[in-house]
Amino acid sequence: MQHPLSVKNLNVWYGAQHALKDINIDLPARQITAIIGPSGCGKSTFLKTLNRLLELNESVRIEGKVMVDGENIYDPSVDVTDIRTRIGLLAQKPFPLPMSIYDNVAYGMRIHGIKNGSVENGVQEALTSVGLWEEVSGRLKAPATGLSGGQQQRLCLARAIAVKPAVLLCDESTASLDPISAQGIESLLMDLRGQYTLVIVTHNIAQARRLADYVMFMWLGELVEHGPAQTFFNEPQLPLTQAYLARKIG
Amino acid sequence: MNREKRRKLLDKTMAWFMRLSMAGSAVILALILGIIIWRGLPGLSLELITKPPEGSFYLGGGGGVLNAILGSLYLALGGTLLAALLAVPVVLFIHTYAGKSRLATWLRLTLDVMWGIPSIVYGAFGFSLMILVGLRASLLAGIITLAFVVLPILARTFDEVLMLVPKELRESTLSLGTTRFEMLGMLLRQTLPGLVTALLLAFGRAIGDGASVLFTAGYTDRIPESLFEPVASLPLAIFFQLSAPFKEVQARAYASALILTVMILGISLLAQVISRRLGRNVIR
Repeated sequence: MQHPLSVKNLNVWYGAQHALKDINIDLPARQITAIIGPSGCGKSTFLKTLNRLLELNESVRIEGKVMVDGENIYDPSVDVTDIRTRIGLLAQKPFPLPMSIYDNVAYGMRIHGIKNGSVENGVQEALTSVGLWEEVSGRLKAPATGLSGGQQQRLCLARAIAVKPAVLLCDESTASLDPISAQGIESLLMDLRGQYTLVIVTHNIAQARRLADYVMFMWLGELVEHGPAQTFFNEPQLPLTQAYLARKIG
Repeated sequence: MNREKRRKLLDKTMAWFMRLSMAGSAVILALILGIIIWRGLPGLSLELITKPPEGSFYLGGGGGVLNAILGSLYLALGGTLLAALLAVPVVLFIHTYAGKSRLATWLRLTLDVMWGIPSIVYGAFGFSLMILVGLRASLLAGIITLAFVVLPILARTFDEVLMLVPKELRESTLSLGTTRFEMLGMLLRQTLPGLVTALLLAFGRAIGDGASVLFTAGYTDRIPESLFEPVASLPLAIFFQLSAPFKEVQARAYASALILTVMILGISLLAQVISRRLGRNVIR
């Protein structure tokens, strides 16, 4: 399918504050879409509407549709756990689960009923694909908290892809890492392009230029401009986008 | 004195004041322990710990307080476990389903009020409840009453521990497609050391409470063999011995207090060890 993720007339309110204003967009499959914009423009809010994490916030009201493979995830008949299995999240700060390294990756597979033998393979596969297997294969039973920040974030990535989601959301996932670890995560995300539909939030325009195939620019809760990365960065249409990319505002 | 000097002086004075308070607390604890050890050691004997009282125990005769040691352990363990059975689901409910709703506020307020109720009131309440259902003063009645006493302590302490769980843990867990119930398991893993601390606090309160078991558990020189028999407890044993007009009996009261203190200390240390073991994987 061309557009596994399609957002229609999405509006979000935090109490009386209108945080997302009528967002409409189709996100390209198996590419990296970067959401850019200044702090408080609604990037993370938008990202968290895509796997229904936003509704954990009690004062929030969400209207509109988010279609995943043709199905509106806000339809009352939809099973939210199924949505979150299909749409994984890599958070801003590395946050391992309070378990061993092995169990961090195995946990998601186990709750989805994958048998022990396959879990073992799955763990190795996921850890290998994030380049962590060599580093941790000798201490899989050790607590995940013993890993460095960069290793923890790669572990979180392994945990997310171990349940084989179709879409992976990354919320400023390199923002709290040192430059070398951040670079590591970036190149992993590039490797994952082609297998997953990736949506990343970043306030770092340079990072968006390096990673993105498609760009969304948000400003005060509105989706101002979006398009293929090359066109977006080289020929931005609107004055607001031009000013933002030239770092005159934001 | 100029402003800068005054600020620095205030800073230093406050630091000393805090040190003084700290030393004060330590001295009070040391004094309590000192007095209990000083007055209790002479009365302490193997017989006191290993034997139930004989007929003339409170008149200075032989025997010990094994009945009260075991009774207190039964009561406190039973009361804490029963309270945990109620408190843990209540608190998990607040954190998983009730959030910041009015129900959650109301539940917390109820628990806080319950915490403030003196234990003699729970004793009286337990007593009227016993009459209502036709239960005699017994281990069971004591456990139920103690569970009421420690329920708010356990619940609110565990509640505070859960409040410290970063929201990222919920998000990370739910993002893997877990149900809310499965997420609860993850919350429990993260908060196990805190839960152990809460259980310990509750246990400490339960084992030291005399007023609530006075009417409900009764008192006996025998070691109970069923939940429906009355049971002795250390605080009451201390009270009865201290009220006796005999020096040697009063000395055994202090020795009993020493036993109670050592038991609480031992359980604290055990909980520390368990907590550290369980906290191996906890995210800090």
